[in-house]
Amino acid sequence: MSAQAHTVAVRASGVDMFFGTPDNQVVALKQADFEARRGELIMLVGPSGCGKTTLLSVIAGTLTPQAGTVEVFGQRLDGLGQEELTSFRRKNLGFVFQSFNLIPTLSVIENVMVPLLIQGRPYDEAHARSLAIIDKVGLKGREDGRPNALSGGQQQRVAIARALVHEPPLLICDEPTSALDKDTGAHIMQLVRDLSRSPERCVVVVTHDHRIFRFADRIAEMEDGRISRVVDDPKLLDTTHL
Amino acid sequence: MYRLALNMLFGDRAKLAMLLCGLAFSALLMAQQSSVFFGIMSWTYTPMVNIRAQVWVSDPMVEQVNDAKPLRDTDLGRVRSVDGVAWAAPLHTSFVQARMQDGNFKLITLVGIDADTFAGAPAVLTQGRIEDLRLPDTVIVDEWGASLMGRMGVGPDGKPRSTPLKVGDTFEINDIQARIVGICKVRRAFTGGPFVYTTYDRAKGYTLGARRTLSFMLVEPQKGVTPDELCGRIERDTGLKAWTSDTVIWNWGERSLARNTFWWFWTNTGIPFSFGTAVLLGLFVGIAISGQTFYSFVLENLKYFAAIKAMGAGMGVIARMLFVQAFTAGLIGFGLGAGMAQAIGRAMIEKGMPPFVMFPQILWATFALVLGISFVSAIIGIIKVSRVDAASVFRG
Ligand SMILES: Nc1ncnc2c1ncn2[C@@H]1O[C@H](COP(=O)(O)OP(=O)(O)OP(=O)(O)O)[C@@H](O)[C@H]1O
Ligand SMILES: [Mg+2]
Repeated sequence: MSAQAHTVAVRASGVDMFFGTPDNQVVALKQADFEARRGELIMLVGPSGCGKTTLLSVIAGTLTPQAGTVEVFGQRLDGLGQEELTSFRRKNLGFVFQSFNLIPTLSVIENVMVPLLIQGRPYDEAHARSLAIIDKVGLKGREDGRPNALSGGQQQRVAIARALVHEPPLLICDEPTSALDKDTGAHIMQLVRDLSRSPERCVVVVTHDHRIFRFADRIAEMEDGRISRVVDDPKLLDTTHL
Repeated sequence: MYRLALNMLFGDRAKLAMLLCGLAFSALLMAQQSSVFFGIMSWTYTPMVNIRAQVWVSDPMVEQVNDAKPLRDTDLGRVRSVDGVAWAAPLHTSFVQARMQDGNFKLITLVGIDADTFAGAPAVLTQGRIEDLRLPDTVIVDEWGASLMGRMGVGPDGKPRSTPLKVGDTFEINDIQARIVGICKVRRAFTGGPFVYTTYDRAKGYTLGARRTLSFMLVEPQKGVTPDELCGRIERDTGLKAWTSDTVIWNWGERSLARNTFWWFWTNTGIPFSFGTAVLLGLFVGIAISGQTFYSFVLENLKYFAAIKAMGAGMGVIARMLFVQAFTAGLIGFGLGAGMAQAIGRAMIEKGMPPFVMFPQILWATFALVLGISFVSAIIGIIKVSRVDAASVFRG
């Protein structure tokens, strides 16, 4: 048991999540169980509407499920208040949103600095650390430009730099490569994967993009609001719906 | 984060310009509407500005400067004997009809001043000399009146044209000749027509029928006696009413005749109401415009605030960011608007139409209102952001 606790990064068990009114209810998650290990990059795949984004939100503490428990690096999320959840996200999470959500009126580097500034880091330190990570994602020299002046792939890299800059234990990505061509996607995934290689880290990636399956340590398949299967080898996947 | 909040605000020049225009425009509207309002209200006590004296004495029943109740000539002696009076001079004011050379009648404000002291004489003469008022049948007319009463004729271009009256021209008051020996610069009044100055004794002649012509007494206190003090003594010793002459709206005392005139018009006429509605309208439009522009700024950024919230920024941080943005925009917008109001005001004061009195309190009030609007907009933005579901950032 203690050995297992040592390896588990994220554990969700018996999670129910409904939307809407009782007489017009949408079931997004139904008794979902999910586990991610430390040092691993795990992917979530499944047909549209099966509840992938919902599960990510529950793990991230932006949605509170009606039933079940969620534990991230030993911290139980159920029972936490809004402010505690916010503080939990601030310390533990990095996000890559499907729609980037870069702030268009800020420069590239200012966008990347946001998580550090939210943590209360001094401006100069945040600036230096952001510059280093921008270099790592291959955008050196673009830091003072606006996100809108970049290509979709470059913007996604800015989003990833922002997700990684504060070295969050848990990195959550929703369709991170959907806007990228094959090579850029592979480059980004390589970067993300390298970052997951540490016992204090864990990366969860939701994707439809079979070209990046090879970066996964494990792949969890979802169906109708629950994890139906977890495989080690992408070849074992049922890819008919992808 | 505040630095980023400001950069977010300044990042989009086009939208910032819109926001600032909205705020500046509403600040302008508010400052300018209320200045015109107070300008018009200040016209009610114009005689206090045009006829300069430290203390005014009137019949006890008088409530405001435009409504004189004649005093007895003997009252002058009684006032002169009050301790602390340096001198007291008679003053006549009335509204009378003047007949122009072309036969038309014009309502004028006739002012009769003491020929010995010239107490109450206009401050600025653009033509002529005040001493010439001692010549027979002479008057001094104000600039605006001179052009208003000017002779209609045909100009060189064939269009009808009015030539302003000048020194040497004549007209008639109650069939008695009035010869112009000077043109003065004075403020326009809300009631009555142009100011026509003559001597106190001649004014008696011009107002034939009037049995008593002493409208006010102008009094100078002795050195070391304040006007306020002197007013008290005059009232106690003579039973007449004594007034101070301060016309500075934010700073006039209880006894100020200008102040009492202002409030008399305020309570007894529909003027404050009709002009006040225009001011309120300006306020509402201003509030609506600036509130709306800031609100749309918040809406446009809602998505990004939601992302910042998802990334772990507490509502406290977001609230402060919104306040920083709102107050910065409010401050700049107010500065621009107030600056424009000043500039427009300066131009208006020069033309005198419409009247424009912008005192510091108007600017402070406008400032407070703009900041209030910014504050409310920020609060609305904060409520919006607090309601936004952090999970929504995962959806496209
Ligand atoms: N806020 C919401 N209100 C109502 N229904 C919702 C909400 N969020 C999700 N749902 C519903 O829950 C179900 C699961 O949605 P979810 O977004 O998790 O699917 P997904 O697997 O991420 O799909 P996709 O691959 O298209 O992104 C869907 O039926 C969706 O309509
Ligand atoms: Mg989804």
